[in-house]
Amino acid sequence: MDKTINIDQTDNGQLQHEIEQFLYHEARLLDNRKWQDWNDLFAEDGHYWVPSTEDQENPLDQVSLFYENAVLRDVRMRRLEHQHAWSQLPPTRTARILGNVIVESGDAQDQVKVHSTFHLTEWRKGVELKVFGGAYVHDLVRADGGWKIRQKRVNLINSDAVHDPLEIFI
Amino acid sequence: MLHEVHDPASLVESNRVHKSVYTNSAIFDLEMERIFRKAWIYAGHESQIRKAGDYVTVRVGKEPVILVRDRGGEIHAFINRCPHKGAKIVGEGCGNTGPLFRCPYHAWTFKHDGSLNGIPHRHGYQGVGVDLKSAEFSMPSVARLESYRGFIFVNLSATGPDLSEFLGGIKSSIDNFCDRSPEGKVEVAGGVFRVMQRSNWKIFFENLNDTAHAQPTHESSYAAARQTVKKKLDGKTPFELHIIEGNGEPNSFWESLELRGYDNGHSYMGAIFKAPQDDTFKTYKEQLDDVYGVERADEILSINRHNTIIYPSCSPHTSFQQLRVIRPISVDRTLVEFYTFRLKGTSKEFWHRTLTYTNVVNSPSSTVMVDDVDLYARCQEGMLAAGNDWISQHRRAGFEQEEGDSRVADGISEFPMRNQFKAWKAYMAD
Repeated sequence: MDKTINIDQTDNGQLQHEIEQFLYHEARLLDNRKWQDWNDLFAEDGHYWVPSTEDQENPLDQVSLFYENAVLRDVRMRRLEHQHAWSQLPPTRTARILGNVIVESGDAQDQVKVHSTFHLTEWRKGVELKVFGGAYVHDLVRADGGWKIRQKRVNLINSDAVHDPLEIFI
Repeated sequence: MLHEVHDPASLVESNRVHKSVYTNSAIFDLEMERIFRKAWIYAGHESQIRKAGDYVTVRVGKEPVILVRDRGGEIHAFINRCPHKGAKIVGEGCGNTGPLFRCPYHAWTFKHDGSLNGIPHRHGYQGVGVDLKSAEFSMPSVARLESYRGFIFVNLSATGPDLSEFLGGIKSSIDNFCDRSPEGKVEVAGGVFRVMQRSNWKIFFENLNDTAHAQPTHESSYAAARQTVKKKLDGKTPFELHIIEGNGEPNSFWESLELRGYDNGHSYMGAIFKAPQDDTFKTYKEQLDDVYGVERADEILSINRHNTIIYPSCSPHTSFQQLRVIRPISVDRTLVEFYTFRLKGTSKEFWHRTLTYTNVVNSPSSTVMVDDVDLYARCQEGMLAAGNDWISQHRRAGFEQEEGDSRVADGISEFPMRNQFKAWKAYMAD
């Protein structure tokens, strides 16, 4: 839940379009298990973070469902494709939709905070269809003419629920 | 069914168990009666209820229980059920109830010891032949509650051994858990994870001291971590990868580990992972040296255990401050709660390392745990198939050695499983 709704939304149509395309591209890479291409979207010190509670302030003083730097993302990617990843035989399939994309326009031209809402369907043969929902918050920085992810925060609406194992990047 | 539930002890032989103990829901119901109403069950830690009126809900066998601290500092446990219509007095979770519990339905109120405080329309109970002071108008109490170094256990039965006798030699794990703090105290912090396993609770307990599963089960994660170390980190293994890749140790390593068991199904296995000897550790060690003296500090840190089993409700990991709490839900569903503890008096950096361990090993997203949970479910499903009705626990059977109040086995023995089922059989027999 976002307690401080910032209405300082960009009116720059070009920027809005650019960011939306970036997010769609990212979602497409994940749904197609293009892990390396997805990981390349991150800045060198970029983090992928899924808090364990809705109000979690930082990833350091509390447990997180995921809190992964480049090294831990690399391990997860390699594990998902390992021939003896028993829980990926057969592999999990995902499809996600994201919308309600709000680009916060700050003073700096080279970084933006982006809010969006997502719906993710996940299925693996032998296990019932699962649905996840929540909000993404992307901190993006300009780099090499495009954008890089400094942090991707995923606020699952059921972050503090009883979970089955979560193995795919959300 | 091959074996009637009226003779559950016949389902356990010294080196094998009948698969129905994992799959038959009538046996599960009997376990809830005969094990979970007789054994001491871990309920919570004193640090979760610090102030008067603080409460936390817990599941004890099939019973929803409230733990609460009263104004004198004493802790009480009773069933989360209004004696009037049966409504749960508080929702699941934790909070502060103020000076009284108040049922949301008809506003009956209760003191922190669960006894009735007040009823609206009290005059309506005059001349109707009831005594409002009788137990049937209070929240049903839990027969016994005891705490060991802050760890609270409850027992639904008024008779049987006290907590100290029940724990026996496995108290040494709780002691080491606390002694590792320069203040000798630990506290729950940093939140909790909850994972549902699609398998019987005993499968998880067996796995906790099953050294032979680590290498085959966890191949995907340890191999991935080793590739990352080789390709991205110039061969250097950071802490967060060490605790993944350690499962890939060779057979000789697992064979060399110590497995030690006590009465009542308790046991532990020797450590797999070592804490890095870096600045964070040096600062911590200096703190321990100051408080305990070098010799005692060395002794505390020399006790290095991986999973401890306190049968049938929890599993501390003493050297990385974790506690897994096992709540059987049904014959094929097990809720596992993962708590992280802070060693009081230690640095922020030390605490962050503890949380790293929790995130990597005990998060629902753990790249390690996921293959375990998948295989537990495969066992649960596979055991429903006909044939091979007995599950073998023969490995190194009979080779364990008596040592005082414990028995010691070598690292690849299935002794911890046999030890659990020895306790299971004793509970279930009468």
